[in-house]
Amino acid sequence: MLCKVRSRAVRLCCFQGQIWREELAENLTRSQGLNAIGLHQDILSHPVSELELRYVITVHRDESVRHCIQQMRSYGLGCVVVVGEKNITEGKFTERLLIPLLLSGESLDEPVAKHMSTDWGTVSTEDPIANVIEQMESKKLRFVIVVNSKGQPVGLTGQKGVAEYIAEHFPRRVKVQESQATKIFLDHREGA
Amino acid sequence: MRRRRRSVDDSDFQDPLKNYETPAYNDDLDRSLMEGEIRDIKITPFTAVLPETTIQEALTEMRDSSIACLLIARDGKLLGIFSVRDVLNRVVDNYDRIMNDPVSDVMTPNPTAVYRTDSPAKALNLMADSGFRHLPILNVDEKVVGILGPRRVTSYLRKFLPD
Repeated sequence: MLCKVRSRAVRLCCFQGQIWREELAENLTRSQGLNAIGLHQDILSHPVSELELRYVITVHRDESVRHCIQQMRSYGLGCVVVVGEKNITEGKFTERLLIPLLLSGESLDEPVAKHMSTDWGTVSTEDPIANVIEQMESKKLRFVIVVNSKGQPVGLTGQKGVAEYIAEHFPRRVKVQESQATKIFLDHREGA
Repeated sequence: MRRRRRSVDDSDFQDPLKNYETPAYNDDLDRSLMEGEIRDIKITPFTAVLPETTIQEALTEMRDSSIACLLIARDGKLLGIFSVRDVLNRVVDNYDRIMNDPVSDVMTPNPTAVYRTDSPAKALNLMADSGFRHLPILNVDEKVVGILGPRRVTSYLRKFLPD
């Protein structure tokens, strides 16, 4: 009983000490003007060009779905950008679109233009990273096409790109999080 | 034998928090990433099927539920994961031949999982470093309680950005 009371008292002291230290740290942070340089601010101000963009695979609209599958496999990507004349984006074909295609029994040799999605999002390399998040959220997208000033696709980004940005720019916050609590099977690729 | 009680004087006391540095967070997102829990993010609903479900049934479930990833579980115990990447790499070429085979033949076994009490930062770390787009979420009993995918992470991050 005495032990219980003592340990409770110690926990209470620690808790109060922590509150006091947190208040002190917050006051220090405020006095040093550090509250304006958080992750939130960086996402709003840093351009998309700071993300590690992935290679963008472009295929012509007349290419077959089978060709798109081979391209996605060889680059390890889940999306190809379908372009028409003058390299202008007309749509995208993602690995997700394979599911209705397989279930419908249609041939993989049909042109990709027949099965592509015409709903895509683009951001410019100069846009803030927040725009990537906004596009993905508002249009329910997994990939966002990054275009140059002429509107031509120069890269691909998405949730993984944003996660990498957060992990790289805030290693103290994110990298140390790998605890031993969860068994990690890094040799088994999850596949998703 | 009676033990002598040791006298405690103030100089003997060592504050266990003496060297403790409280982390300072620059904004709410920063704090949430580190001190929040994955269960604060939307991790449900999720769809789990038995390993003997056929590939065709699994694909139908994914299409009807508009999801990119299925968990393969029995009695709540996670056995594997089957995602659109598995469809691309293992199914699409042989679909007509293997459509009635069990999904366990083409799933990825022993997927990396996180606990619902882990921090969002840990999930983001795994997604960034290991390339996992979908992470099954487990409770303390190692039972599946949800899944974290790209869309849910984006929604979580979006909450911290101004409209």
